[in-house]
Amino acid sequence: MINFTHFPVIAVMGLFLCAFLVEIFGAKNKYIRNTIALVAAFGAFALIAALIKPVFVDGNVISYWMGNWTPVGGYAIGIGYEIDALNLFFALLVVTTVLLSGIYSVKYMERDHHLGHYYTLYLMLSGSVLGLVLTGDIFNMFVMIEIMTFASVALTAFRNNKLGALEGAFKYLIIGSVGSSLTLSGIALLYAQCHTLNMSQLSAALATGLSPTTILAFALMFAGFGVKSYIVPFHAPAADAYMAAPTSVSMLFSGMVNKAGVYGMIRLTYVIFRAMDLSSVQLLLVTLGTVTMFIGVTMALAQHNFKRLLAFHSISQIGYVITAIGLGTALGLSSGIFHAMNHTLFKGLLFLTAGAVLYATGTCDLDRLGGLSKRMPKTTICFLIGAFSISGLPPFNGFASKWMIYQSTFAKATETGNFGYAFATIVALVVSVMTLASFIKVTQAVFFGQLPENLKEVREVPLLMRIPMWIMSALCILSGVFYNFVAKYLLTPATNAAFNVTNYIDKMMGEGYAAANGITETAIGFSPLDLWNPVLWLILFAIVLISVCIVILTGEKERGRTLVKTDADPEDGKYATFFGGEASTHSHVGGSDLFWGFKHDFKGYFKFIQGMHSGVVNDYALWVVVATALITVFMFIFVR
Amino acid sequence: MEIITTIFTNAFYVLVFPGLLFVAIVGLLLAGIDRKVLARMQKRVGPPLIQPFYDFFKLMGKETIIPHAANRRVFLAAPVVGFVSLVVMMLFIPIFGFSPLSTNADLIILLYLLTIPAVALIVGGSASGSPYAGIGISREMVTMMAYELPLVIVLLTVARKVGGSTLCFSLSEISLFQQAEGSLITNWSLIPAAIAMLLVIPAEVGTQPFDVAEAETEICEGPLVEYSGAPLAIFKLNTAIKMFIMTALFTVLFFGGIDTGFIALNALVLVAICAVLTVICMTLIHAICARLKIEHLFKFYWTVVTVLAAISLILVWLGL
Repeated sequence: MINFTHFPVIAVMGLFLCAFLVEIFGAKNKYIRNTIALVAAFGAFALIAALIKPVFVDGNVISYWMGNWTPVGGYAIGIGYEIDALNLFFALLVVTTVLLSGIYSVKYMERDHHLGHYYTLYLMLSGSVLGLVLTGDIFNMFVMIEIMTFASVALTAFRNNKLGALEGAFKYLIIGSVGSSLTLSGIALLYAQCHTLNMSQLSAALATGLSPTTILAFALMFAGFGVKSYIVPFHAPAADAYMAAPTSVSMLFSGMVNKAGVYGMIRLTYVIFRAMDLSSVQLLLVTLGTVTMFIGVTMALAQHNFKRLLAFHSISQIGYVITAIGLGTALGLSSGIFHAMNHTLFKGLLFLTAGAVLYATGTCDLDRLGGLSKRMPKTTICFLIGAFSISGLPPFNGFASKWMIYQSTFAKATETGNFGYAFATIVALVVSVMTLASFIKVTQAVFFGQLPENLKEVREVPLLMRIPMWIMSALCILSGVFYNFVAKYLLTPATNAAFNVTNYIDKMMGEGYAAANGITETAIGFSPLDLWNPVLWLILFAIVLISVCIVILTGEKERGRTLVKTDADPEDGKYATFFGGEASTHSHVGGSDLFWGFKHDFKGYFKFIQGMHSGVVNDYALWVVVATALITVFMFIFVR
Repeated sequence: MEIITTIFTNAFYVLVFPGLLFVAIVGLLLAGIDRKVLARMQKRVGPPLIQPFYDFFKLMGKETIIPHAANRRVFLAAPVVGFVSLVVMMLFIPIFGFSPLSTNADLIILLYLLTIPAVALIVGGSASGSPYAGIGISREMVTMMAYELPLVIVLLTVARKVGGSTLCFSLSEISLFQQAEGSLITNWSLIPAAIAMLLVIPAEVGTQPFDVAEAETEICEGPLVEYSGAPLAIFKLNTAIKMFIMTALFTVLFFGGIDTGFIALNALVLVAICAVLTVICMTLIHAICARLKIEHLFKFYWTVVTVLAAISLILVWLGL
């Protein structure tokens, strides 16, 4: 019998340890460097994956006290790790992202210098996010947030010879530090009030009701985790950072760093403060989430840079997640974490394809790319899978989770009779269409259309970069088609764990501790709806695939006979405006802009929102401060 | 033995009724009715009723030309993807109680499946590499965003009306509800939603005055400009099938209470209602109005049509 309780802490320590080993042994030799990094990433993945059976299937909660400093007299002294299904769900997202990004980095980063530093920071970031989601101690969580923030800042600035890298890092640094400080202030207030830093014990201590001090702490930590998950209005630095960072790191940012914020938000609202049965907190989260998804997608519509566009879509998709978890229902939470998982998969995939384009062509500017589907067919397929997933077309995974989100928001609306939640459903559906539109723009501007002369020699990316893309694509399809499997083995245990606060406290502090403090929530026995008939969808998918294959094969046969050169010469400046998908500066043709009609009718809004994103970090910091103040005021008035 | 029967039944559903063959024939028939009635309204004689069939088979026999700038695979696959998704869509739409595929998420699945033919058109046009297609897909996309908002609100209105305090996204349940309680069109609070839906249909199908994306007089049929032969035939067929699917969806949502007891008779009734709806919401408007500009189209859908749909949603929410 293997003792599983040591696995999580070994995974975290292994990543941190290897971060230093890379710098010591691998600074000169790339083989040693890559080996250490990949072994660490794979080791963490294996250790966390080994916990699937004991935690998800057998329903255990793993508690681990560092140095065996167990609680004395009902007071937690040492740092504890506590892994229930909710942590493990997010930990799995983290280790999967780390592993795939690690494989991708090997080839993607090979042209850069000082890769020892890169891998050190990369492993530090990975270790800190893993530690953040596994820990049961709130100050330990803060330490991990700090390591995460500073590793992210340094990685954003890693290609500091490129335009925008230092600027992005600087914005990240300022806003990230403000966010960390907010979290720290909240933790300090909680420690002063409850004399403990252990999350289980805090939850038990807060069971007696909220005092003004703890409400302030709640508001500050809420804003702090909001900054870490980049919900509007805390989102501004994300776009710059995602764009400037190397793409393997952008994938880490959108795949796990903002998921860490989401995890923190769930843990804070569901477990520590147990505030999700308060309609005011639900309203706050759903409002923030709905605004986030709309502003994120409309900003994405206006972008000209591939990675920056993806960054705004990340913000928008996190809006979906926050809306869903804000409902406070079991269906809402499960759809939220499912969408978080799917976002990790499809957004990771999309960032990898953006990285592949950058690697092959040297640019991410949508106006200068085009026609790459001929030169990079495999990347194009991966991109289309990712784009269809994020747009929520069936049978990809985005459809399943978005459907659950519509279902849960509309169910909430009909249950409570509150029209606002139905409005959230409508916004979510419309945002989904806009997401699709935005990705069609990318498809048109990057992969289809005319191939510019200077990209004629572009080659497909190496195999080592394609493997992670294929794995991600496969996961996108599998988690959509085998929705029932995912729901049964991943979502249901994680959702039940978030609601089963008593179990969480008792496993850490000893049986009966929660009951002694007046907490009675137990397992809710949630099981998601049987909405998805995988076999049926597999058949339909097969029909589409077969018919497409037949057409392509019959089309192939006629090669040579039917190829006709059109008059549209791509080098003729007259047509240049049509192919980028965006208006060029000299264009007199308004219709050449891909969303022209939409933008024309909303020009007031677009002018306002683009003016708001001024790029001045002072403004962004001001947003954070003002939003925190407003959240605090809201909490003091409505949360009781 | 049982497996073979199941396979044959499902193959029949997909290929013959209510799938491929049925939608293709009825769709082309509706297109013929549309052309004939339009011609009579304009005091022309018009083509024979089965002219769309002739057109289809003529195009199928023509040579397929693929432009040099096009991405061959996507260019050829796009019309087929659109076609398959339309056939699949028909499997979800119950014919007064008879529905080969039914899940409890029909409405949302349909909403997404409805976008696929439009996306196929956009992707196909995009893959053809033509500047006219570039303008066309831009307009198609804005059209799609325009009608999606009122359509979403209409569907949620019906879901709320049928479901009450529980949730109902299932078309067959909507159909059953109407057979028990009477068709929803008889409910005055849903009439604005029905009008909104009638206005969504021509934009979804892309008939005049909402055919800004194809606009043959200015941008030579936009996304279709480079298509010829069989792929063009399939795109034309897709448009015809969309007419049927959208009017059938309207019938299910608002006239679901009709049931004669026989599937064949029900199907006939459905086709008859669809033909009437086609004439009302497509032919009539086509005969009256000139093509809109894209920004006017967008504004029209996000103001007038959305407000109509929202009125119904609010009325239904208030329990009227």
